[in-house]
Amino acid sequence: MLSKLLKYDLKWIYKAVIVFYALSLIFALIGRGLSLIENSLLFGIISKVCYGIVIAMLISAMINNLMRVWARVVRNMYKDESYLTHTLPIEKSKIYLSKFLAAIITMFTTVLVSAICLAICYYSQENIEFLKSMLEIAATTYNSSVIGLLISILFVFFLEMVFILMVGVVGIIIGHKSNDNKIVKSIVYAFAMYMVTQVVSVILVALFALFNPNIMNLLNTVDIVPIDVIKSLMYGANILYLIYVIVYYFIGKKQFEKGVNVD
Amino acid sequence: MELLECKQLSKMYDGKIALQNVNLTIPRGKIIGLLGKNGSGKTTLIKLINDLLVPSYGEVLINGEKPGVNSKKIISYLPERTYLDKSMTVKETFKYFSEFYDNFDTEKAKELLKDLDLDINLKLSKMSKGMKEKVQLILVMSRKAELYILDEPLGGVDPATRDYILDTILSNFNEGASVIISTHLIADIEKILDEVIFIDKGKISLVSSTDELRNKEKASIDEIFRRRFKC
Repeated sequence: MLSKLLKYDLKWIYKAVIVFYALSLIFALIGRGLSLIENSLLFGIISKVCYGIVIAMLISAMINNLMRVWARVVRNMYKDESYLTHTLPIEKSKIYLSKFLAAIITMFTTVLVSAICLAICYYSQENIEFLKSMLEIAATTYNSSVIGLLISILFVFFLEMVFILMVGVVGIIIGHKSNDNKIVKSIVYAFAMYMVTQVVSVILVALFALFNPNIMNLLNTVDIVPIDVIKSLMYGANILYLIYVIVYYFIGKKQFEKGVNVD
Repeated sequence: MELLECKQLSKMYDGKIALQNVNLTIPRGKIIGLLGKNGSGKTTLIKLINDLLVPSYGEVLINGEKPGVNSKKIISYLPERTYLDKSMTVKETFKYFSEFYDNFDTEKAKELLKDLDLDINLKLSKMSKGMKEKVQLILVMSRKAELYILDEPLGGVDPATRDYILDTILSNFNEGASVIISTHLIADIEKILDEVIFIDKGKISLVSSTDELRNKEKASIDEIFRRRFKC
C-alpha cells in the first residue's frame, strides 16, 4: 500500500517539477552546444543567456518542489481530497511516511538535476583546475577528492532542504489541528519551528566552542578560519540536520497519528 | 456484534457543541435515513464514523473496533463534496479504487458508467459538478461493502438525477449490507427507508422503524419531519 500511495504522491509532485527539469536540461545542452562554436560573439551571448535561463529554471524547480510537497500535504490530508485519503484502508503512519519519502525523493532528484545541469554548463578542464586549486586544501583535510568534497557540500545542501520541507510539513499538521485560520497558523508554526531550531543550532555551536578553542576563535575574531574548523562545522552541520529531520519526522508522525479534523 | 455502535459520542469545536452524547446502534441489512435540518450534526456524525474527525468524547465502534484500517475496508463512503483528484480520468479513478480497495468491482463500475454514456478517458476537470458526483456514486456503489454511508447524495440535483441516484443505490448495494443516507430531502427517499434517525442540534431525537412511525403518527415521514422541525 505504501508503494501505491508513494506512486501517486510522486506523480503529483513531479507533474509540474519535471517541466523545470526538462527546461533546465534543454537550455543547459543548447547553451553548452553554442559555447563550443568558436569565434562567434552572437552564439557566445546566446550561450550565456541560456546559462542564465538554466539558473532561473533550477531555482524555479527548487521552489516548485518545496511548494508542491506542502501543497500535496494540505490538499491530500486536509482539503477535499482528504475525504478519500483518510477513508483508504491504510494506516495513518503510512500516509505520513509516503509524504515524507516523496519529499526526500523529489528533493534528491532536484539537487541531482541541478548538479547535472551545472556540470553541463560549466564543466571544462580549466574550471576543474580552478575548482581543484580552490578546494584542494579542504579536500586534503577531509582525506577526500575534490569531487568527494563537492558531493558532501551537495549533501549538506540536500539535508538543509529536506529539513525546511519537514518544518513546513510539521507546521501544516500542527496548524490544521485548529478550527480556523489553518493555513496562517501552519505558516506561523513552521516559521516558529524553523527559528527555534536555528537558535538551538547557534546555542549548540556556542556550547561546542566552550570545549574547542578553534571554534571559539571563529566566533570571537575575524581571523581567517582554519580549514579543520570548517571541517568540524561541516560534520556538525550534517549530523545536526540529520537529527533535526529525524526529530521533526517523529513529531509530525505523532501529531498526525492522533487524528485529523478535516474541513 | 453490531455493525456500527456510537457510545456517548460528542464533538465540540472551540467549545461549541456539534454533537452531544450520541448513543446509536446500526444493525445489518437495513437502509437507514439520517434526517435532520442543515447544521443539525449529520455530517459531523458521518465524519466521526469515517475517521475524518477525532471525537471530543465517547467512541465509535465498527464491528467492535475503533475506526481504522479494518473499518475502512468495509465502509464505502460518499461525501457531500468532490474528493477525487480532478486531473485524473474516469479510468484512472477506477484503477485507483481497484488498487486500494480489495472489494472494488471494476467491471460493475464500467457497466454503471455505460448508463451515463460517459467517455472513460474523460478527465474529471472537464466534467460538470453533477457528472463528477455521479462518477463518485458509481465508485462508491461498485464496492462490495458492509456499510454504505452516503452524505447528502441528493443535495443540489434535479429530480431526474435524484431518480438516477436512488436507482443506482438501490440496485447496487451489497446484499446484507446497511446503507445510511443523510439528507433533508425526505420525500424523495422515504419510500426506500427501513429506519429513520432524526437528529437535531447535535442530539438524536428519534430512532424508529419507518413503518412503525408512519402507523403511530398516521402521517408520512416527510410530514412528521416537518412537524417536529418546524421553525
